[in-house]
Parts: sequence; C-alpha cells; structure tokens
Amino acid sequence: MSAGALLPILALLSSLLAAVVIFALPETSHRLRTLVNLLAALLKLGIVAVMTWGVFQGIDFSVSFTMLPGVRFMLRADALAMLFAGLSALLWLLTTIYAVGYLEDSPNRSRFFGFFSLCVASTMGIALAGNLFTFFLFYEMLTLSTYPLVVHRGTEKALQAGRNYIIYTLGGGVVLLLGIAWLHGLAGDLAFRETGHFQGSDPALHGQLTLIFVVLIAGLGVKAGMFPVHGWLPQAMVAPAPVSALLHAVAVVKAGAFGIVRVVYDIYGIDFAFALGLLQPLAWLAAFTILYGSVRALTQIDLKRRLAFSTISQVSYIILGVTLFGPIGTVGGLVHLLHQGIMKITLFFCAGNYAETLGVHRVDELDGAGARMPATSAAFTLAVLGMIGVPPLAGFVTKWVLGTGALAASMEWVILVLLLSSLLNAAYFLPIVYRLWFSPVVAPWPAERRWGRLETSAWLLWPPLVTTLMLILVGLLAATAFSPLSWARLIVVRMYLP
Amino acid sequence: MNGSPPLVLVAVSVLLPLLYPLLATRRGWHRALRGALPLLPVPALLLAFQSAAPWTLELPWLLLGSTWMLDELRRSFLLLTALLWGVAGLYAVGYLGAQHVRRFCVFWGLTLSGNLGLVLAADIASFYAFFTLMTFAAYGLIVHVGSGRARFAGRVYLVMALCGEMAMLAGFLLAASTGDSLLLKDLNVGIAGSANSELMTALFIVGFGVKAGLPLLHFWLPLAHPVAPTPASAVLSGTMVKAGLLGWLLTLPVGEAGWFAWGQFLMLMGFAGALGAAVFGVRQRDPKTVLAWSSISQMGLLTVLAGATLAVPGQVSGLLPVIGVFVLHHGLAKGCLFLAVGLVLPAHRLLRWVVWLLLALPGLSLLGVPLTSGQFAKGVMKDALLGQPGLPLYGLLPLLLQATTLATLVLLVRYGWLLWQQLERGNIRATRWLGWMLAVLCSTVVFWYLPTVTAVMSA
Repeated sequence: MSAGALLPILALLSSLLAAVVIFALPETSHRLRTLVNLLAALLKLGIVAVMTWGVFQGIDFSVSFTMLPGVRFMLRADALAMLFAGLSALLWLLTTIYAVGYLEDSPNRSRFFGFFSLCVASTMGIALAGNLFTFFLFYEMLTLSTYPLVVHRGTEKALQAGRNYIIYTLGGGVVLLLGIAWLHGLAGDLAFRETGHFQGSDPALHGQLTLIFVVLIAGLGVKAGMFPVHGWLPQAMVAPAPVSALLHAVAVVKAGAFGIVRVVYDIYGIDFAFALGLLQPLAWLAAFTILYGSVRALTQIDLKRRLAFSTISQVSYIILGVTLFGPIGTVGGLVHLLHQGIMKITLFFCAGNYAETLGVHRVDELDGAGARMPATSAAFTLAVLGMIGVPPLAGFVTKWVLGTGALAASMEWVILVLLLSSLLNAAYFLPIVYRLWFSPVVAPWPAERRWGRLETSAWLLWPPLVTTLMLILVGLLAATAFSPLSWARLIVVRMYLP
Repeated sequence: MNGSPPLVLVAVSVLLPLLYPLLATRRGWHRALRGALPLLPVPALLLAFQSAAPWTLELPWLLLGSTWMLDELRRSFLLLTALLWGVAGLYAVGYLGAQHVRRFCVFWGLTLSGNLGLVLAADIASFYAFFTLMTFAAYGLIVHVGSGRARFAGRVYLVMALCGEMAMLAGFLLAASTGDSLLLKDLNVGIAGSANSELMTALFIVGFGVKAGLPLLHFWLPLAHPVAPTPASAVLSGTMVKAGLLGWLLTLPVGEAGWFAWGQFLMLMGFAGALGAAVFGVRQRDPKTVLAWSSISQMGLLTVLAGATLAVPGQVSGLLPVIGVFVLHHGLAKGCLFLAVGLVLPAHRLLRWVVWLLLALPGLSLLGVPLTSGQFAKGVMKDALLGQPGLPLYGLLPLLLQATTLATLVLLVRYGWLLWQQLERGNIRATRWLGWMLAVLCSTVVFWYLPTVTAVMSA
C-alpha cells in the first residue's frame, strides 16, 4: 500500500484504535487512559499536518475499494477535507485535555473517553470521505457515538435530551439515506472529486434532481441545526461541557454543514445548483436561521442554552456563504467553518469553567465573575467580540468576506442580514460581558478547592486560552500563507479552476 | 516624496498602550500600572514630531493586508492625541481613587491604542479595527463609576456606537467592493464611480457622525461626558469625537467633483449643531455637561469645515491644514476645560487668582481672544471659508460665524459660572495639578510650536 493510501487510513485508525484501547482499559487506570488519549490526539495532529502539507504540494491521498457491487468505500484528502480534518484534529487535542480536567473524579470515564474517541474517528471519516456513501457511513457512526456522550450524566433530563437527539438525527439520517439511494439509482456512485456530474444532464431529470437536492439538504440540515429542524440542539445542552464544545464546534453541527458544502460543490456543482435555482431558497433559509437563532438566544437565561441558539445562528453563516454564487462567498463560508469552531469552542470551554469552578450555569449568576476568573473571562470576552464580528478577530474576517461575496453575487440583502445579526449578537452577548466585568459580586464564590496561583485547574484553563490566542491570530494574520483564510482561498481556487 | 517609516517607533507607539494592560494580570502592580499612564503616548508623540516627511508602511501580513501612513492631516491628529492623552494620563494618576484602578488602566490603554492606531491606519481593516477598539474600550471608561447614571449613559453610548459601526461597515463593504481596493485613499474614487454613491455617502456620514456628535446622533455625548471620570471626559471630548471627523475626511469623496449637495448638507448640520448646542447647553447644571454641549457646538464648526471640503473639490489642500489647526486648538483647549472641573482652589489668595487666570485662558482661547490659539484657528478658518465664493450658504457665512461665536460665549459663561459656584477649597494630589497645568501650557504655548501650526503660519 502506498503512503498516499496509508495516511488517510492512519488518520482514521489513530482515534479508532484509541477508542478500542480505552474501552479495554479498566475504569481506574486514569493515568494510562489520559496518556493514550493525548498520544492518539498528538499522533493524529501530526498525521493531519503531514497530509495538509502534502495536499498543499498537490499530492493525492486516496484509497478506495468496492464494498458492494456499485458501492465503493472511498477515502480521499483534498483541500476541503483537510480544512475540516485540521479543525477536528486540532480541537480534539484541546478538548481532550479539557475533558480530562473536567471529568476529574467523575464516574464512567472509560465509557466517556471511548465514545469520545469514536466520535472523533467519525469526524475524521466525514472529513476524508470520498463519496456520499462513505460520508453517510461515518455520518451515522457519529450519531451513534455521540448519543452516549449526550446522556453521559444519566439524569432524567439528559436521557430525555438524548432521546430527542437520537430521534432528530436518526430521522435526518433516514432522509439523507433516501436521498443518497435515489441519487445512486439515478446517476450511480458519485465521487466527490469529479464535479459537474450533471452539467450536461437531460433536462427531463432536473425535476428529480431538484427534489433529491431538497431531500439531501433536509437530511443534512438536521445536524447543521437549520430551522425548522434545530430542536435537538438546545436540549443537548445537558451534556458535559467538553461534549457540548465538541458537538458545537467540530463534530455534529459541522458534519451537517460540511455535508451541505459537499453536496452543493462536489455533487451538484455550484454552477448547476445555481442553474437549477436551488441556491436562492437555501440562502433565504440560512438567512432566516441566522436571525431566528439570534432572536431566540436573546431570551435564554441558561448560559449554555444561549450559546446553543447562537450556534444555530452561526452555523448558518457557513451555509449562507455556500449559497452566495461566486468564489468570494465560498471563501467566506468555508473560512467560517474554522472560525466558528474556534470561537464557539472557546465559549463552551469558558462556560464549562464557570460551571466547574464557580457552580454557575445561568447568565444572571455571572455578576462579577471577571474578578474571580480574569483569564477565563478575558477569553470569553474576546470570543464574544469575535462572534459579533469585531476586528481584528476571527469573526470579522468571516463577515468581511461574506459581505464582499454577497456584493459580488449581487445579493445586497445579505449585508442587511449580516449587520442585523451582528447587532443581535451584541445584544445577547454583551450583557454577559457587562456582568462579568462591571457588576458587583452578589454572594461569595464557593471556595471548595485551591488551585494554587491559577483561577481554576490548569487542564481547564489552558485550552480556552490557546483557542483564544488562535481566534486572535487567525484574524490578525489572515493575510499570511497558512491562515484559514488563505487555505479557504486555496480550496476555492482548486474548486473553481479544475 | 516619501520618507522611510521609523519602524520601531511606529510599532512601539501602537503596541505599548495595547500590550500595557497585560501588566494588570499581576495583582500587586496597580501602583506601577497607574504610574505608567502618562508615559503611554510618549512614543507616539516622538513619532509625530520626529518624522518630517510623510511615510507609508506596508504590512502585507497584517489582517487583510495593511498599510499605515503618516501625512500632514494625520500628523495633526496624532499630535493632538498624543499630547492630550499624555497630560490627561498624568492628571489621572492624581485622580484615580482606590476603586478599580486596574480595570480603569486596562481600558485606558486599550482606548488610547485604538485612538492612536486609527490615526495611522491607511487601509480599511486596520482603520476599522482600531476605531472599534477605541469604541468598545471607551465604554469601560464611561461606566467606570458604576452608578445608575453611568450605566445608562454607557448603554446609550454603546447602542449608538454599535449602530454607527454597522453603518460604517456597510459603507466600507460597498465602497471597497466597487473600488476593488482595501485602501482608504481609494475609497473616494470607488464611491464616486458607483451607482450607490449616495447610499455610501449617507452611511459614512451617519457612521462617523455618531462619534463626531452630528445633531440627532449626538445623544450619547451629554450623557457620557458628565459620568465618565474627568481625565476620560477630557480625552473623550478632546480627541475621540474627532476620530469621527477624521473618519469623514478619510472616507467621504473629498476632492471629487459633484458632492456640492452633500457638502451643503454637512455645513447646514454643522451650523445647526454649533448653534443648537448652545440652546440646550446653557440650561445644564453640571459643568461637564455644559462642556459636552460645547463640544457638540465646536464639532459643529469642524463639521462645517468638512462640509466645505466636500462641497468645493478644488480647495482640499487649502482646507485640510485649517482643519488640522482647528482640531489641535479645540482639542487642547477643551481638554484643559474638562480637567479644570476636577480641581480645587488653593488656600492662598494670590494662588487662587493664578488658578482662576489659568482656568480662564483656554476659555478665552475658544472665544478667539487675541494672542490665543483660538484667534489663530478661527482666523484661518474664516479666511479659508470666506475666500470661497463658491461655497454653499456663502452669503450667510459671516453672520453664521458671528452667531457661533455668540453660542460659544454663552456656553463658556455658563461653564464659568457653574465652576465659580462649585469649586471648593481643598487638597488634591500634585500630579493632578501638574497634568492640568501642562494641559494649559500645551494649549497656550506648545500649540504655537506644533509642526501643523508652524506650517500654516509660514504659508
């Protein structure tokens, strides 16, 4: 087997094997489990880094074999795949570190970290999938491996949320499978690489193709948290903070958004989708979801719930970018895939820190927390400003590129949506920042543990600080060669100029 | 003829106040933090004095690819910003109590960094970044006291500022897309050549108008100034509102033909602000509120000048230095007046009279009394305006300018009366005195030696 075929498989196996080893380890061997976790995460990061460099150089990493007659299992690393793989490899490492600190002294850690690794393996599979079938395989594996994480606490509320989660996502999966099978019957096994499958297709098929598009998007839209199938997301908040972080920033919602990107660009092709008139309605839906999520976030008192509605809103930025016909809009959507991940994971890490250290879950209990936890609060503040789109942070780059893309596509109304959404973001996020820094403390904070000079456990503190640094740097150095923006431009150059 | 940029000095000028808040991470350092306040703008001051020739600095790795520059217009804003933040910083050392010193210093440094950076920025992304940094960080200064009034003022300020920023962003997006350039200097060509030029102009006028206190966008000013700590009010009124003016000059199609109507509109709004502010300001009971209205009034005059620049495209090179001089004059004088509100009267009778004399000087300067910076600034302004028969409202200009002097007088008399009633005897820290006296020195003496002023005098 050549190195080109080996690396994608290794990238998958690194976390798959980690999962197996962790399941096999006894519950009490915490140190060994942490070691395995961290080694696997570092190994994967290394593999992904090598592959990214290779893809940049134009090396082809792919492997495929036939599973059933007419159905291939296919892994392939293109620039788009590396965007998602890079995001998940990097954030997995940080989330693992965070989760080790977060779940200290709690039961069932073996189960948790086992499924945690499985979940990341699925994400890697989704990123590297070379055709719709392989994509679907890992997409469903993701559903099944995240369920135990969502219900990890085992409370009545958690189980209820888990039931809801599984109904939504499996339902979405069934719809997606229907679309894939239909398309397969019509056009056979379509690899993501060869775009423009339908460019010269029989106009008589266009009606069917339109329907299939709707079915596919409906199936994928569930995980992407698009209105009206977003209902599982706010409920899934009962999960432990690292799970929420992973769910919102990397794994689940991103899998949906990434699938939509694949369908629009690599199955239908942007020109064909545009010609069928499919982009415009999707743009409207994305725009509505952006505003809807923000408006709902305004009234949420629970911090994580507010963040959840914010996710619903922010993920649709990616989809909105995809629907802006033209290369600049695409860059905006793709770059937000990364930017949203970095910003949102920071916010969830911080929310987890408040919960773990101060026992605070509600927005109105955060008064004066800035003085008690300055580093966490500074990270939270910067992530919030990034979400609003304040320069020079990550969100600004997204907003600028999306806005320019909208104008290039002659969709001026998108600017209004962007501005309105920024204002709404400010309206539901800035009051929290105000409470952190300017409100006086109401009651003394619980003084249960001593962390030395740090405000909380180092395991919990460093991951958000690292992601905060990242969300500053990706904006501040957006023009440099390996920034997310430059990588998204590379993807688009390769996509539009085959 | 471009000089080479003094790289290290530029970097230190912006980064020193930007990174200085990191000192706040150490709990025991609040005294050092406070003591460093007046030093923060020193590199920027050196920068403004040092480089004689205009320079451009390319930073292709920064943001979306950045360019910074210093030309004559920017130099006048840089001089004002560095000088006023310096003396206000010194004043703040003697002003700050024990409460929230670290928090104040953090926001002070960030606001200053934004204010300095926006002056140097020549591309959209860095200009917008610094402008926003200043906007957000200034909120922390305004609500510093934490009273109900302060929080309300902060809320009004932030909501209005955010709306302004959105208008600005929309304008930038539209203009950058049509002009296909991220440089501020290409904006006016982009705007002039676009089908949406009217919309863009309106967006920029509104967006920066919030900062500049344009009538109907001014509501935050009289609320925010009285509640902010006195040194913060001084820089807010002295330099930060002028960032709005700079924004106009950098974004509006100044120097392009065909903007007569917009220029006329700005001039009308300017006079409305200059005169209307007196009507509202004279009824206030807090000297800082009166000064806030006076700032709206004086910014009205600057708005008139900006409008004139827009209306008469051929006269830009003549009007911009005048604006520079006026900005310096008003910024320094207004800074003194604000800082004076936090003074006390010395016990010794003679000293008391000295204080009152020094208190009066910047006020007289605003009125344009002979031998003051105001006489010079108003003089060049009148010459520049009345020498342009093509200007909108030309026939009314002498009358309107007379009326604005009356408006200034009314507000200053009110301010003086309130101060007379409110200043008490007592003790304050020496640094507070020193900061205020240095401010007066800048307004009365140093002013005449500033490069912008000497250039206009010799012309």
